Amino acid sequence: MSATAAMKAPTRDLGLLRRRRAADMVATVLCFAATLVVLAALASILWTLVANGIGGLTLRTLTRVTAPAGGNGGLLNPLVGSVIQVALATLLGTPIGLLAGIYLAEYGTGSAVANAVRFVSDMLLSAPSILVGLFVYLVLVAPFHHFSGWAGVVALAILVVPIVVRTSEDMLRLVPLSMREAAAALGAPHWKVVLLVCVRAARRGMMTGVLLAVARISGETAPLLFTSLGNLNWSLSLNRSMASLPVTIYQYAGSPADDWVQLAWTAALLITVGVLLINIAARLGLRGGDR
Amino acid sequence: MDDRTAPRPLPGMSFQATATAGTSTSPGTARPMISTRNLDFHYGASQALKGISLDFPARQVTGLIGPSGCGKSTLLRVLNRMYDLYPGQRATGEVLLDGETIIGPHVDANRLRSRVGMVFQKPTPFPMSVESNVAFGIRLHERLGRADMAARIEDALRRVALWNEVKDRLRTSATSLSGGQQQRLCIARTIATRPEVILLDEPTSALDPISTARIEELLDELKQDFTIAIVTHNLQQAARCADRVAFFYMGELVEVDEASRLFTTPRQKRTQDYITGRFG
Amino acid sequence: MTTDASLAGAPTGRSWGDPAFAGIVRACGLVVLLLIGGIIAVMLAGGRQAFSTFGWGFLSSSAWNPVLDHYGALTAVFGTVVTAAIGLVVAVPLAFGVAFCLTEMAPAWLSGPLGIAVELLAAVPSIIFGMWGFFVIVPVMAHDIQPPLIHTLGHVRLLHPFFSGAPFGTGLLTAGLILAVMVTPFIAAVMRDVFNSMPPVLKESAYGLGSTRWDVMRQVVLPWSRTAVIGGIMLGLGRALGETMAVTFVIGNTNRISASLFSPGNTIASLIALEFPESPAGSLKLSALLALGFILMVISFVTLACSRLLLRAGRTARH
Repeated sequence: MSATAAMKAPTRDLGLLRRRRAADMVATVLCFAATLVVLAALASILWTLVANGIGGLTLRTLTRVTAPAGGNGGLLNPLVGSVIQVALATLLGTPIGLLAGIYLAEYGTGSAVANAVRFVSDMLLSAPSILVGLFVYLVLVAPFHHFSGWAGVVALAILVVPIVVRTSEDMLRLVPLSMREAAAALGAPHWKVVLLVCVRAARRGMMTGVLLAVARISGETAPLLFTSLGNLNWSLSLNRSMASLPVTIYQYAGSPADDWVQLAWTAALLITVGVLLINIAARLGLRGGDR
Repeated sequence: MDDRTAPRPLPGMSFQATATAGTSTSPGTARPMISTRNLDFHYGASQALKGISLDFPARQVTGLIGPSGCGKSTLLRVLNRMYDLYPGQRATGEVLLDGETIIGPHVDANRLRSRVGMVFQKPTPFPMSVESNVAFGIRLHERLGRADMAARIEDALRRVALWNEVKDRLRTSATSLSGGQQQRLCIARTIATRPEVILLDEPTSALDPISTARIEELLDELKQDFTIAIVTHNLQQAARCADRVAFFYMGELVEVDEASRLFTTPRQKRTQDYITGRFG
Repeated sequence: MTTDASLAGAPTGRSWGDPAFAGIVRACGLVVLLLIGGIIAVMLAGGRQAFSTFGWGFLSSSAWNPVLDHYGALTAVFGTVVTAAIGLVVAVPLAFGVAFCLTEMAPAWLSGPLGIAVELLAAVPSIIFGMWGFFVIVPVMAHDIQPPLIHTLGHVRLLHPFFSGAPFGTGLLTAGLILAVMVTPFIAAVMRDVFNSMPPVLKESAYGLGSTRWDVMRQVVLPWSRTAVIGGIMLGLGRALGETMAVTFVIGNTNRISASLFSPGNTIASLIALEFPESPAGSLKLSALLALGFILMVISFVTLACSRLLLRAGRTARH
């Protein structure tokens, strides 16, 4: 009985094998197709941006202030506004994120508070950014009855914190125990062990986190709509509403004026190229650190 | 001094009186730089050291041998209170450094570690330049001018015979050195803080034979200024480097003696079995 | 003690460093907790007027009438859920395909750049997706996708309500598709990490039995990583629910509930973005928007919390 079953088995298996192979083929083709769809979307986005945006990318665009439709305006104030707000938000959010990351990595094992911080920080990482905008509006705009660049800075900084927390904690946890012990064995107090040795060892990864945060907030629009609002006039004051590239895109893209739509494309191209370059640089930097 | 630190066995605790009696006061042995009396150590619920009483004579090399998990590394980590870094680990009993107790909440572990340096199994260069690595420990405890600092760094690097190899690249990253150079750098970093005791935890187990030989030579020179305790798995190394050797087994100190005597005429059967390779 | 007691810790000196440092980093950790607490409290306070005016009716009313000052959340919640659902239905197979490709099929020289390309897609700002959707996808939908669907599926008896209406190009389906493209890289990244974290021995032993790649994926990798994969999908859902700019460009922004996938609508986030400039401080309308924001926060935080818990459960189950 068992002998005949064993004899017959190969003929039955062959049909099964063919079916399994066919299923494998179908799955392979579908998965490659899915990948192609995703790549095509990326290519289409990039191509659209380049095709529509490159024409407006002139020195004049970059050196002139926004103007009414048909008024030969440029992107200088949104560009400068974006740089200022992103830079200040990074300066504000990075230390908080870094120190909170240190807290989680160095003091946060088995502590309920630390677990809560970790959980909440990871949730903030993916939380709708428009809610951050509303929050900052209620706290920093509504009480003072005017929009301000500072409010935009704070809203963006809130987005920076969870990104930096995540990378800082992850990178600090990669620092080998032996390095900490060696520093402690020289008589270094814990805070010096952390700041002078661990942070130093993890600095490349932490820089990556900061770069990714910069890339993320550079393109954020929703949190700025209710905070720095956008400003069509030249203004460097953080106490007044302030222009930014993403908000300018939002205001111009849907407009009936052709020159505004052109500026929106150019701004979109600028932002995307900037964001993608920062991302690539961050990833290459991280990879270089492995060696 | 010995009278003051006389062992006080607690009830229900095995105390290796025979192991230390006679040897710690034997003629020719220098005064102890470190002495432990009745030292117990716990990792959470498990006991890693049981009633250890052992002297580390000044300016000698004391070798600690025994199979893995016998407690020899644990003892080393008590001597500079490295265990402080981890919750749930605790030492009880008495440990004296030059007559001062080092166990207890009133002791500043960081100051203790400036007097009791440690070198680890794997080289642990910090992610900074060669020079900064050596300066790191000095800066923790002293404020030195630039010239004094440079002199101290050079002196430390010369003493580990690394100066000629690295003097042209003091500013380059320490991680670019070879494994043997890194380990000598770590020793230089340790002696640069001018400790009294140096603890070495299997310092050559990650190194090739040539680098190992250089480190062993180094130990011979260093013991003129420092008291040295070395944990090693390599019995030949213990025989070559150590003046006195202590054999640990299952958290107990089985036997301690002059290296020549312990390896030729051990008094305990377990020591005999271990050094002849019957277990471990 | 006869010596200078140099080992005894001085109460002053350097011993303040460690407690001070611990206090500072702990404070920064608490800032994160305060932020989320602040966001919840402030939104709830801001929406109180709307909640108290309309009561539970706020959730069940589809009105959005600034003239009568009567507002309800139903249309926006409906649009939010439907677009996110469409997005996920499309994104999950795409993401799975990408992750399977990256981990099992693509050779090493290809999977590196491919992985970077997918990560770059995740980095594209959402407003760019909005522009791309508005200028590229909407015309394609209006001319090449919606008319044929209306003419074919629109005449099938049961499917008719879902595929009827005018081919504007904008609407729930378009928004859902844009969301799908946006969240695919996030889901794919989680799936890839989970698949990669599987011990090779498990896969190899399955291959050793003569399994094809698809057999291994379906019968070994997927069951083993199910929890974390669902966590990754929830993460994508959380992102899709709260997406603002991309949706605002293509959803049509009409306060209407319709079964048709081609019908314009709105989502909570797009409604907030659009209506906010016309909502004066202290008005009932602004309060209604903040109440909507609170609802969005509850929905997305619950989703993201589930995602985190699943991802963590998946991680501990695997180690």
